[in-house]
Amino acid sequence: MPARWSILLLAGWATLVVASRGVSAVEPRGQAAVTSSAASGRRPAPAAGGVSRSQSLVDEYCVRCHNDRTRTQGLSLSSVDLRSVETDAELWEKVTKKLQARAMPPAGAPRPSEQDYQHLLSFLESELDRAATARPDPGRPPALRRLNRTEYRNAIRELLALDIDVDDLLPADDSSFGFDNISVTGLSPTLMERYLSAAQKVSRLAIGSTVRAPLSRVINVPPDLTQETRLDGLPFGSRGGTVAIHTFPVDGEYAVRIRLARNRNENVEGLNEPHDLELALDGARVERFTVTPKRNQLAGYYADEGVDAHLEARLPVTAGPHEVRVTFLAKTGALIETERQPYLARFNADRHPRAQPAVRSISIEGPFSTSGISATPSRRRIFTCAPAAASAADPVRAGVTSRRSLARSRAQTADAACARSIIASLARRAYRRPVTDADLEAPLAFYREARTEVRPEATAFEAGIEMALRAILASPEFLFRIERDPAGLAPGTPYRLSDVILASRLSFFLWSAPPDEELLGLAERGELGRPLVLERQVARMLADPRALALSSNFAHQWLHLRNLAAHSPDNRQFPEFDHNLRQAFRRETEMLVETVIAEDRPVTELLSASYTFLNERLAKHYGIPGVYGDQFRRVTLGDRRERFGILGHGSVLTVTSYANRTSPVLRGKWVLENVLGTPPPPPPANVPPLAERATGKMLSMRERMAEHRKNAVCATCHQLMDPTGLSMESFDAIGRWRARDEDGSPLDVSGQLPGGQAFEGVDGLRQALLARPEVFVSTMAEKLLTFGLGRGIDYRDRPAIRAIVRRAAQDEYRFSSLVLAVVRSAPFQMRRT
Amino acid sequence: MIITKLALPRRTFLRGLGATVALPLLDAMVPAMSALAATPARPSRRLGFVFVPMGSNPAPWTPKAVGPIAELSPSLEALKPYLEHLTIFTNLELKNANTTGNHASSNAGFLSCARAKRTESTDYENGTTVDQIVAKTLGSKTPIPSLELGTDLIAQVGNCDNGYNCAYQNNLSWSSPTTPLPTEADPRVVFERLFGDGGPPDARRAELRRNASILDWVVKDLASLQRTLGPGDRSKVDEYVDTVREVERRIQRAEQQTSASPLPTLERPASVPEAWEDHVKLMFDLQVLALQADLTRVITFQLARESSTRTYPQIGVPEPHHPISHHTNNPEKLAKLAKINAYHVSLFGYLLERLRATPDGDGTLLDHTAYLFGSGMGNPDLHDHQNLPIVLARGGAGGVKGGRHVKFAEMTPLANLHLTLLDHMGVRLDRFVDSTGRLDLSNGAVSL
Repeated sequence: MPARWSILLLAGWATLVVASRGVSAVEPRGQAAVTSSAASGRRPAPAAGGVSRSQSLVDEYCVRCHNDRTRTQGLSLSSVDLRSVETDAELWEKVTKKLQARAMPPAGAPRPSEQDYQHLLSFLESELDRAATARPDPGRPPALRRLNRTEYRNAIRELLALDIDVDDLLPADDSSFGFDNISVTGLSPTLMERYLSAAQKVSRLAIGSTVRAPLSRVINVPPDLTQETRLDGLPFGSRGGTVAIHTFPVDGEYAVRIRLARNRNENVEGLNEPHDLELALDGARVERFTVTPKRNQLAGYYADEGVDAHLEARLPVTAGPHEVRVTFLAKTGALIETERQPYLARFNADRHPRAQPAVRSISIEGPFSTSGISATPSRRRIFTCAPAAASAADPVRAGVTSRRSLARSRAQTADAACARSIIASLARRAYRRPVTDADLEAPLAFYREARTEVRPEATAFEAGIEMALRAILASPEFLFRIERDPAGLAPGTPYRLSDVILASRLSFFLWSAPPDEELLGLAERGELGRPLVLERQVARMLADPRALALSSNFAHQWLHLRNLAAHSPDNRQFPEFDHNLRQAFRRETEMLVETVIAEDRPVTELLSASYTFLNERLAKHYGIPGVYGDQFRRVTLGDRRERFGILGHGSVLTVTSYANRTSPVLRGKWVLENVLGTPPPPPPANVPPLAERATGKMLSMRERMAEHRKNAVCATCHQLMDPTGLSMESFDAIGRWRARDEDGSPLDVSGQLPGGQAFEGVDGLRQALLARPEVFVSTMAEKLLTFGLGRGIDYRDRPAIRAIVRRAAQDEYRFSSLVLAVVRSAPFQMRRT
Repeated sequence: MIITKLALPRRTFLRGLGATVALPLLDAMVPAMSALAATPARPSRRLGFVFVPMGSNPAPWTPKAVGPIAELSPSLEALKPYLEHLTIFTNLELKNANTTGNHASSNAGFLSCARAKRTESTDYENGTTVDQIVAKTLGSKTPIPSLELGTDLIAQVGNCDNGYNCAYQNNLSWSSPTTPLPTEADPRVVFERLFGDGGPPDARRAELRRNASILDWVVKDLASLQRTLGPGDRSKVDEYVDTVREVERRIQRAEQQTSASPLPTLERPASVPEAWEDHVKLMFDLQVLALQADLTRVITFQLARESSTRTYPQIGVPEPHHPISHHTNNPEKLAKLAKINAYHVSLFGYLLERLRATPDGDGTLLDHTAYLFGSGMGNPDLHDHQNLPIVLARGGAGGVKGGRHVKFAEMTPLANLHLTLLDHMGVRLDRFVDSTGRLDLSNGAVSL
């Protein structure tokens, strides 16, 4: 250690990364309040020379604009004293961020040398970190945060082995700070009603045996899905259609009805000759239908009434989840379609009509008759014991007045014991903590009430459990994640979280789900806090399929992929855009993120990957030859550098475009926000409209952008966003590579980062961003921490973020090292009263 | 008023649905105690719209006399029993629907009076519709702010009319200029939204009690939770307690309602009735139930979407509506168009009959409801938007006199009528899009 410190003292910034190994790898664990934390790294006081050189750098490069007279952006640094950085930590964190991104001084102004940049940064950061170490502030996420939709769905999956359509049960969550797990402290009456209703539906579906009347569900196929060829996940020799997992509540007869897509003339679109389609249950065909056109003198109007009316089957199905699949049988002629260039979407009668019929929806109704109930995953998970099983085999002892009454009372005792064991287990996992007798009182009362109320006796036990489960699912202890402060701490005291709370933070962070048995068990035994145990758990959890949530939930939100679902480009300009392409975009980015997680690759590979994931559709879209079929596979990009990393992904390029054109502003803003971590402030109120100029000449995008930067109010922010976005103009509004813009003007893709660093095109942008990987990694760390904590990040968290990035740097910024560093950080492990 | 006793084929309902399933969906199923029940003297106000596509054949549509009338025209004949509640308007215009995509813009403009932006993509733009302006004011008083219903099951995507996004024809209501509200045509979905699983009154009451006892416990649980929290978090829990109490109150009101004036056994419709007429009537039944239980006070209903190609063989029109509407003054086609008009009107008559047959406070539902029936197109052969066929059915409350045919000066904005309906619902605006004044509904005259 001492040797390392001296190296640090001598070498300054360049070795900070290495030196920070000196920070103890594991936080000290205290029982209650921790007055000092090593989270942000221990630093020695800077040499006196550091202050004066830094002060003169600030005076020379910053104060020329940020002085008492001009107060550029309302900021004056004239009278700041660098000897007491900690008194104005918020200000200096802002400065540090700008310096780190080399965004200040602005392009055109005199700039310090790289050494000077590093000196000043190093000085400020070590001062700020030192102050944070002395007075740690791990922040205070709200004590009560309700489960959002995703978490609720996953909690039900973990608790009851039941997949639910959560979108039907709960309203969408609002997002703030980029994520939908933050604005979750409110509870409106409508939402409470939805939770109550969800509790009833979920508990009924999980138990199954109490379902009396038929339930129904309609599975809609996206209307703009082209179904001319085989779709991924469906069998060879099939065409179009869809597959869904449906949970059947009991053994019984169910009706499955298929509807075909119709055009606005109410005809089944593309039905020009007979087509066969099949209905399969768990992969085995149960019914084969033929649909035959019925065109008549009505000349194509509403002539197909009833042609799909016979697409209905009644089938016996056992309880539990089953795969329901509907597909057409492919006709050989369909092969020609795959040869078309460019690809044509086929889903709209006017613009690009279907050539063959398509499936629009499947509805499943039932049970119409009940024949029993098979073991389902949910029932196996819930019924860990059987009621009254013990009494039957029990010999009756002599001396008891009535054999029957003894048997009954024994049965009831056995029932009660079994019920208690089931309910205790449900409550513990639902509440994500050990439960007490007091916790079980009410659910047991609900059990007993329903148990005695319900006839026949055969279902009474299960009806009782169902009612107890329903109550548990409506309980605030289930619906809310609760972080209780330990008693007796003064307000503002930082303290370490209990293992049980840490377990929930960990599992909701990595899985968007509650802790599993192993994690909860470790926490209950007080072992989770042990550094090695924690590290092993993080590794285990990242290797678990549930960690896909980091891609499908975290990365989706971070990279704005969620917006893809609602994005639909102008059909006239982009006739090839359909749901298939939208899905392919999404899948490509998801698979890159999943690969970085699964193979534990450096997170910078999200920007730099020289490979990507394509199916035939997406490969054609990108103009990459040799990829056939609908399944995705890893493809090495070779010299197709424009597609390296997410900046070349159709997903990102499309969600940052308007319906009919690209937007350098949106793309630039996206880079600033999600890669550089320096989002521009929101536009001011009363933005003046762009002056219409009747020059008679079509302006290129670059000229139009330049026009609007002429307005001084706009320029301050747009000069940060636009030059970055303009470098990505080689991609059109649906992410295709192009040589000219919408108006046919040749492209000029020279670009500039906020600090003025110039480059050419998207490859230049990528290299410029990768030149300082710590900027991107610290943005990602900030996003991970925001998502993991469920609160906005502010200047007080910056020392922790720097520590996270330094730790990850020691391991080439591998994904697991970044995640582990987040998990070990003070804001994640601690809380303030 | 029992949904199962309506003139609906039994096959439209799930067989064997003994309906002992209780109500789960609280927000949807709690009929708040209606204003009427609280203060019987004041009728609650409700507003509905029924949209039909592609205008009319005006000759058999327009009543001969102007002012108070005793006779209706052939196309409107089915409304004769409700004449005292009717005002028929002639010469209203939807100016902003004059576009290059007239079907799209007349559907989009019918309630917004705005000009739909020409786009095939999701950057569509229309205007906030009159029903939604009302829903924003009255919506908080009922569990469901508004219902948007239709009979066309499949929403189209992309281009539906010469460069206009299908959203303009799929939907009638827009909650903002950029937010069309999806039209629901599946009676099962509507039913579940209104009544959850349904079932007989005693089962629904039992279900309410179960939820009430869970909530009772939740409040206690919150109280003990609160004791373990710091002062800052305690106030948050107070908010939750208030929320839960509010839900409890809603349940109490629902229990009172279920006991005092019980809705009948509610059987959930399984799927869409095969015959379109049965489908329409079922959708009307659901509207009446929703209004009766005071689940909502604002409803829009697209009887068929604009440029619909539905055929009506049941009334002797096997040809699709849209091509027939391009009648080129061919007498045979004009006659068939009039038949379709009269058929649609007769279905509206079914709704009025249901409303009048349903007791509501001191009168019937019809007394406390206004329903506008009409189209955003005038002469469909020309795709014009003048002389729209518009009928207003309105209860007697508020001193409205019906039984009138009001003939305006040509090209009087439809927005004037919408503005007046807003007044009537207690929403006072200075102007609605291109309105030029208000109408006096109390005597059927015009005050511009």
